[in-house]
Amino acid sequence: MKKTISSKIGMVLFLLPAGLFFISFFVYPLVFIIITSFTSWDGLSQPVFNSWNNYRFVLSDPTFKLSIQNNIGWILAGGFLQVPLAVLVAILLARKPKGWKFLRTVYYFPNVISIVAMSMLWMAVFNSEYGILNGLLKAVGLEGLQQNWLGNYFTAYPAVVLFGVFYIGYFMIIILAEISSIPETYYEAASIDGASRLQQELHITLPLIRGSTLTCMTIAMVYGLRQFEQTYVMTNGGPANRTMVLVLYLFKKINDFQYGVANTSAVFLLMIGVIIIVGLRRLFRAKD
Amino acid sequence: MPKLLFEKRFSNSLEPGRSKFFGSIIMWVVLAFFLFYTVAPMVWLLISSLKTNAELIASPFSLPEKMQFTNYTNAFQVSGLNRLFLNSMVVSLSATILNVLIAAMAAYVIARFNFKFKEVIFTIIIAGIMVPISSLMVPIFTLIKTLGVYNTRLALILTYTGVSLPLSLFIIRGFINNIPVELEEAAIIDGCGFYSRFFKIIFPLAKPGLITAATFQFLYSWNEFVYAMLLTSSNSVRTMQVGIRFFSNQFTTDYTSMYAAIVISIIPSIIGYILFQEQIISGLTSGAIKG
Repeated sequence: MKKTISSKIGMVLFLLPAGLFFISFFVYPLVFIIITSFTSWDGLSQPVFNSWNNYRFVLSDPTFKLSIQNNIGWILAGGFLQVPLAVLVAILLARKPKGWKFLRTVYYFPNVISIVAMSMLWMAVFNSEYGILNGLLKAVGLEGLQQNWLGNYFTAYPAVVLFGVFYIGYFMIIILAEISSIPETYYEAASIDGASRLQQELHITLPLIRGSTLTCMTIAMVYGLRQFEQTYVMTNGGPANRTMVLVLYLFKKINDFQYGVANTSAVFLLMIGVIIIVGLRRLFRAKD
Repeated sequence: MPKLLFEKRFSNSLEPGRSKFFGSIIMWVVLAFFLFYTVAPMVWLLISSLKTNAELIASPFSLPEKMQFTNYTNAFQVSGLNRLFLNSMVVSLSATILNVLIAAMAAYVIARFNFKFKEVIFTIIIAGIMVPISSLMVPIFTLIKTLGVYNTRLALILTYTGVSLPLSLFIIRGFINNIPVELEEAAIIDGCGFYSRFFKIIFPLAKPGLITAATFQFLYSWNEFVYAMLLTSSNSVRTMQVGIRFFSNQFTTDYTSMYAAIVISIIPSIIGYILFQEQIISGLTSGAIKG
């Protein structure tokens, strides 16, 4: 479109607010984090340069290592459990069984509810006195398995990680849309050639939904990396740091007025994010 | 149909009817599992919020003897829920309007005009969608303190507007791209300037995109927790999500009132979802969220 003088002024005025917000909430924070990750800083006095000390500190801190380990568990659960389940349900709904639109609506529903409310709901599920899970175990005569699920060192982490894995609505909708765009003739041709339904899904559907699967795995894994609310609300990192994750580690360092160390852990968070995004893209391209 | 083809078609399964039958049973078992998993805990929460505490502990799965609506009035009285609710509304609505307006303005320029480094700038902004926002806690905290708005609702409005700008910009630009340029060219001939083209042509025509972006932004702002906790310290400005987190301290023994409070906090999301379901699903399926 042609640019007159008045439209040039308009362009600048229209870009300015977005530019200011983007610089304030993305550019400045990222630069700031990298610089202050090399300082010792309590948030009150001036930051003091301390070279790689923060990095040495976090890498020798067992809690930090455990956080990274736990985050890797979250990332794998999101990418390799939640997304494949979403693919499965999307393939089933793509056959348009009775009520598929209703199911699509209901499956997405948990995504509009806050994670805090969801976590509190699941705290009630896992509660040792009156929780649903223990109640169900009692009802089927397995009282021996009753637990204080979130207080037990061995069950707390799986409990916190796994309850969200079965909420597949968000990814399912994205994948379902891509399946619906596959021309029906592909399947007709395949079935004339004698391919069973299962073979058709494996050899036609799966290769053709690579794009949305990549998107979903990226989102799920980045989500596993930055997850915070479940852990904070349900266990606050306990018992004995067993459920600690990176963002909670960062948050606790802020509360301890160790802003430099907090930002060092933020640098690790961002780097792992880049590794996930680049790595997944490589992985999916290598299959071509 | 040639004989060869016909035979080949059925050679894979000896009893096609039966395997189809089992296939559909497996399908319904899977679909029913996910339905139950999604719905059952929430129904349980709703029922429990209408019971007495004694009933809940004695039999977690029974229906209430008598509906205890007092749990709901308790929830409002004990926790100052109306204040939290009001704060959440003010913050979410303001952040949504501000975010969508700013994103639409920028999206218009990016979609319609060419300037130096446009694609590079746009790509960098869009990359912001993938940044784990919670890693930016310290700098955003510092920024909010420097601006002198710590512990105000404005702090949350500005933060929510800023951090989800990339996503809104991406969604809205997609919709503006689909509006024919000819409409505007005709308007230019009619003497329509830059601003009136934006407000009179683009704004009404990009409405579905604006609503989609606004729906996502509202839900994000309503449900956001990390920054709501980090950037506020007093109950007079805190939002619903931070409030219900601390309910567990206030309602140490009164579980059923706490459940009532959680139900109340979910209601706006449910209403938003029912009203804007189409926009949410079309937003996801049009590739709007695809990184």
